[in-house]
Amino acid sequence: MSEGGSVPDAVLATLETVVNYYLSLDPEGAARLGDLQGRVILIELAGFGTRVYVVPGDGGLQLFGDYAGEPDCVLYGTPLALARMGVSGQREDQLFSGEVRIAGDTHLAQAFGNFLGGLEVDWEEQLSRLLGDAAAHQVGVQVQSVERWGRRTSDILTQDIQEYLQEEARLLPGRYETRAFLDDVDRLRDDVDRLAARVERLANALGEGRPDRETPAPESDAQRVDMQRATYRDRAGE
Amino acid sequence: MTDEKTTNFGYQKVPVEEKAGRVRAVFDSVASRYDLMNDLMSLGIHRLWKRQTVELAGVRRGQRVLDLAAGTGDLSERFAGIVGKGGEVVVTDINSAMLARGRARLVDVGVSGNVHFAQVDAEALPFSASHFDCVSIGFGLRNVTHKQRALEEMFRVLRPGGRALVLEFSHPESPPLRKVYDLYSFSALPLLGRLIAGDADSYRYLAESIRMHPNQETLLGMMEQAGFERCDFFNLSGGIVAIHRGYRL
Repeated sequence: MSEGGSVPDAVLATLETVVNYYLSLDPEGAARLGDLQGRVILIELAGFGTRVYVVPGDGGLQLFGDYAGEPDCVLYGTPLALARMGVSGQREDQLFSGEVRIAGDTHLAQAFGNFLGGLEVDWEEQLSRLLGDAAAHQVGVQVQSVERWGRRTSDILTQDIQEYLQEEARLLPGRYETRAFLDDVDRLRDDVDRLAARVERLANALGEGRPDRETPAPESDAQRVDMQRATYRDRAGE
Repeated sequence: MTDEKTTNFGYQKVPVEEKAGRVRAVFDSVASRYDLMNDLMSLGIHRLWKRQTVELAGVRRGQRVLDLAAGTGDLSERFAGIVGKGGEVVVTDINSAMLARGRARLVDVGVSGNVHFAQVDAEALPFSASHFDCVSIGFGLRNVTHKQRALEEMFRVLRPGGRALVLEFSHPESPPLRKVYDLYSFSALPLLGRLIAGDADSYRYLAESIRMHPNQETLLGMMEQAGFERCDFFNLSGGIVAIHRGYRL
């Protein structure tokens, strides 16, 4: 009765309840679903071979194991990659690495991803229903200060390690040194290219056994540069 | 299964013209606790039966769906999601108390715009022929006095290619399950009815009407007689419930 690859109804029903409960925690975020209402998104989980059709409604999602028509867009990827895409702000990483594939209406897929990524539950508000406003606020303040401390500590640690490796142990070059070195590398590469072009031109002239009449010797530096450019263009044309 | 003068009302025989009124009394009585009772009686499994029905319906965006005996609108809610803004779901029930509850519930869960409500008798549908892509009747057919006529009406309003879905209690396949099921529905069910809805008789009627409802094969034959083609049925939960599906080709 059910096609291979579809998720059992009981699992879908539970999942739908859980998802919609989560959405109800962020009513403003869920309201953005209105734009996607009635569109059909097929999510295919690689590795499991399971497929779930998601139909956004007003303030909630409906999940189906089967849909008779063509979905508007298909998201294909491993559960982990799809989850990362939904949660992280940088969806491009997953897309360009090929972990997640999108077929059909990519705008819809992006809107759906934006919707998932944009969900932000005000946990303090949820907590206040259990503990009351004052206690929840205290907990919220504590959590925030721990969060801030964590972020500051990690920033300072990163900076200290960087300074130690660059200045004390001198294992890594500093930023200015690196930039100067990279500039040198660039210049060297250009010089080698020019030299190669020059050698080639000379070889051509020698191969013909006589001086090249059509390309007279350059009289000035500017002329030489022009001729080199012309040579590059020729080579690029090949 | 009915002669001209009387019809089944559970295990009782009642005059044909009385059945509709008696069914109405039953549902007037249970309307306020209908969802809660459904959850308790079926241990929540009725939601899965309804999900399965909607998936078997194969409805797509932009289609027109008629939900007969919609009750509190569980099927309609999911249909409304699939057909989207461009589609239409007509939510109907013969009982105004149930329909009012269904409308209130659908508004509460944010389903609006593409749903319409109508109090209709499944035996005489006030819709033109070839109008709907799908007609469903969930746990309603057994309460209809003339089931054959209702099936014919469902066939009439369907467009060619449309399908009818009948979700209804049926007859369990295995004898042990049947024993347990009988015990449950004649002992536990009326007790639950008395405790929760304060009305044991209505729930005894539900149990009895389920027993008097045609079994899978008979209902399949009735659908074919009404004109449906490619009819099939799916037993759920060991045949306690069956979904019959037929197409108008």
